[in-house]
Amino acid sequence: MTGVLLRARQVTRRFGTFTAVDNVSMHVQPGEVVGLLGANGAGKTTLIRMLLGLLPVTSGGVELLGGPPDREHRCRLGYVPQGLGLYGDLTVRENLSFSAGAYGSAEPELPPALAGRADVLVRELPLGAQRQVAFLAALAHSPEVLVLDEPTSGVDALARAALWDTIRGQAEHGAGVLVTTHYMQEAQQCDRLLLMSNGQLVAQGSEADIIGATTAVAVRTGDWAQAFAALNAAGAPVMLAGRAIRVANANPGELQDVLKAAGIQAILQPVPATIEERMLVLAREAGSS
Amino acid sequence: MTYSVRSATVRFGHVLALDDVTVEVPAGSVVAVVGGDGAGKSTLLRALVGEVALDSGTVEAPPKQRLGYLPASSGSWAALTVTQNIDFVAGIYGLAGDELTARRRELLDRASLTPAADRLAAQLSGGMRRKLGFVMAIVHRPELLILDEPSTGIDPVSRIDLWRLASEAAASGAAVLMSTTYLDEAERAAHLVVLDDGKILVQGSYDQVRAGFAGVVTQTAEPVRAEWAWRRGRVQREYWPSAGPPPGATTVAPDLEDIVIALSLARRNAVLS
Amino acid sequence: MIVKEFRELVRDRRTLGLLIMMPLLLLVIFGYAANFYVSSLKTAVVGPQATQVAATLPSFFDVTVTQPSGTKADAETLLQDNKVDVAFVTGQTPVLALVNGSNLFAAQSAVAALNKAGDKVKTQVLYNPDLKTSWVMIPAIIGLILTFIGTIITSIGMVREREAGTLEQLAVMPIKPSRVILGKIAPYFLVASVDMVIVTVLGIVLFGVPFNGNPLAFALGAAIFLFVTLGLGVFISTISQTAGQAIQTAFFFLLPQILLSGMIFPLEAMAAGVRWIGYLLPLTYFTMISQGIMLRGAPISSLWLPFVVLTVMALVVFTGATLRFRRDLAPGSPASPTRKRPAAAETVSAA
Repeated sequence: MTGVLLRARQVTRRFGTFTAVDNVSMHVQPGEVVGLLGANGAGKTTLIRMLLGLLPVTSGGVELLGGPPDREHRCRLGYVPQGLGLYGDLTVRENLSFSAGAYGSAEPELPPALAGRADVLVRELPLGAQRQVAFLAALAHSPEVLVLDEPTSGVDALARAALWDTIRGQAEHGAGVLVTTHYMQEAQQCDRLLLMSNGQLVAQGSEADIIGATTAVAVRTGDWAQAFAALNAAGAPVMLAGRAIRVANANPGELQDVLKAAGIQAILQPVPATIEERMLVLAREAGSS
Repeated sequence: MTYSVRSATVRFGHVLALDDVTVEVPAGSVVAVVGGDGAGKSTLLRALVGEVALDSGTVEAPPKQRLGYLPASSGSWAALTVTQNIDFVAGIYGLAGDELTARRRELLDRASLTPAADRLAAQLSGGMRRKLGFVMAIVHRPELLILDEPSTGIDPVSRIDLWRLASEAAASGAAVLMSTTYLDEAERAAHLVVLDDGKILVQGSYDQVRAGFAGVVTQTAEPVRAEWAWRRGRVQREYWPSAGPPPGATTVAPDLEDIVIALSLARRNAVLS
Repeated sequence: MIVKEFRELVRDRRTLGLLIMMPLLLLVIFGYAANFYVSSLKTAVVGPQATQVAATLPSFFDVTVTQPSGTKADAETLLQDNKVDVAFVTGQTPVLALVNGSNLFAAQSAVAALNKAGDKVKTQVLYNPDLKTSWVMIPAIIGLILTFIGTIITSIGMVREREAGTLEQLAVMPIKPSRVILGKIAPYFLVASVDMVIVTVLGIVLFGVPFNGNPLAFALGAAIFLFVTLGLGVFISTISQTAGQAIQTAFFFLLPQILLSGMIFPLEAMAAGVRWIGYLLPLTYFTMISQGIMLRGAPISSLWLPFVVLTVMALVVFTGATLRFRRDLAPGSPASPTRKRPAAAETVSAA
């Protein structure tokens, strides 16, 4: 099926006087992996719940596979929540048979990694394996849309790569995937990114679009601990990358003054900013407003 | 003062959680332990803290009075406010009166938690709750600070805050040991330890780890040997431990993620063969 | 859905045990214990014609004490000390029959039997002249409430730390396990004590239940009993992983006490095979104390048995629970296999 799989049109959600999602418009198309980024409280979970039809909108419209997000349309959706949605006291096979029954699909085959553990209770599995089972359960009915909430949190590098293999594989088969993640390296694996802050969609597009006009300065000095302390004390948005200190949206001259006052010698160099730095700047703006 | 576990082995039933692991944590530095779920990170940290007894090996750790611990689970009491949480823990460590008030204010400020001082812990976001747990672990200026996955599942901005707090602690002289699944955090540490299935895959500073890495990593659209390849972004990467890659293959300078995955694969494939 | 629920139930051994064992237990208990009819009454006969009168009494009255030299005061003491259910005082006409009103069913049976004797006997019911059920039940209910609070709520309180993951932190901090336990129990001790005072006062005010004995002795008995129930609460918390399990286990300890402590069915009426269970239950002994003090104004000396038993129980339960708890906090206890993942446990502020 061609056409947009998920769409939010100027969606707003209010809880009393609190606006959790503010006039957000976005979409997911077949074959693409869209990453949804944002700090806690930015509104990501609320937006997802509206897209899935679990929460009504206050204003605006939501479309799932061209229609309202009701049970009929949700049949063609695969959802893996952060808590995985598995029954810890059932085995792998039993979990899969339950969700297959619920969706009316055939029970999926187990990949070699899990084949030997089909009768192990899910709660006894390591987290990476649990996530794999959750994925299998969500994919068994060949959904056209996948919504994944932090799919690789807490998982090691190798297992993470394997999970992304599955995600990419689904996209290549034509499904559309919406992923939320706190892992910036995963943001780079997505085709398109959405950045939310304080309920609003502040940026969308490629990594460069998300970073926007944020700048960064790298501070190289032998005395990194002192420099870090001095800049932090001065209120600069400081970050660490290896032994180098990075400061976002900073004026190199001002930084140099602070460092000189603390008696620290350093070389300052403008560098390309990262997504994290954009988020750091947004957080500070939100905090001060 | 360097704290450590040496030749530590821990068994839970028939599962070997730690296999002859030696890790040192010198004062004034941050040591990061990396590994997936089940690798043994938590067991290692709990052994150092005294929660888990070793089947063999030794532990050098300060007494409870000089130890700070942030467990993988919540780390704070949900029904108490931020201030009450800190006061409770500080009281157990013997802090009281003006000294306690001053210390509490200082820590809340450093962790950017001051506006939430009277909020219930249950109402804090994940990142703030973790920072509260951190403050509680450090309120008594411990000599050894142990953080179990402090940043897992936490938003990037809070993660930066936590890292900053940990570095500050190290800069003030504490020995800091933290476990993480985020490789970018491990890269920043003075010393990193990669655990896999209870064994140490590699350890050292990032530079040492990179220098000591043997073999070549290539980037390709079609890997030659499936069991040595993994997906990275849109492409595949492949590890050649000893035999040379085919001519014309694109070599890449491996970063920590490549190294960790390559070494894990090497171990898996060695076990299987 | 049905299949899934069945599978989960089969794995949940504690619930399964409760669902299967409970009905069986209840059936057995009801079968053998439920008996309001007392088959024989312990009787004392005092006074000059003691021996003759004793000989003429029907077998229903099981004469255990014959005291020709005894007086009415001696008879009353015997009743107050709960040594007999009925005491006949001879030496005057008609013979005086004093009935222990604090043993309700025994008393009812006694009165029924004595009424058949007509004018030959003058019946006087002591301690509970109107044979009110409430007067007998309320002292027992006070104990039940203490049991309820002591056991159930403590077990939740302790298990909450384990579920929240904060138990780990307590284990690592320089705080002694015994202090943790005492700190945990103190609020519940206070709450339970206040509750007890309220219920006692209400019982006296609303139902007119007397309080004839020494309040300090009563308070002492209640305090010891509280220690037993709180100790049980701690113990339950050390063998439960979740609050759900804790409540189920607490319930399992609670139900027998309601049915077999003599609160509903009198102990004497139970078949011996089941009665011994009653003698293992703390509530049985507290009921002896509360009924004795409130209704009969009995002195501590006559209540030495329940006091001693409860004290021993308190020591045993508390020590056992503390040792188990200390074992949980100390190194060497294996990592709990069902640790919550930090990611999943992250609290939601993303409204």
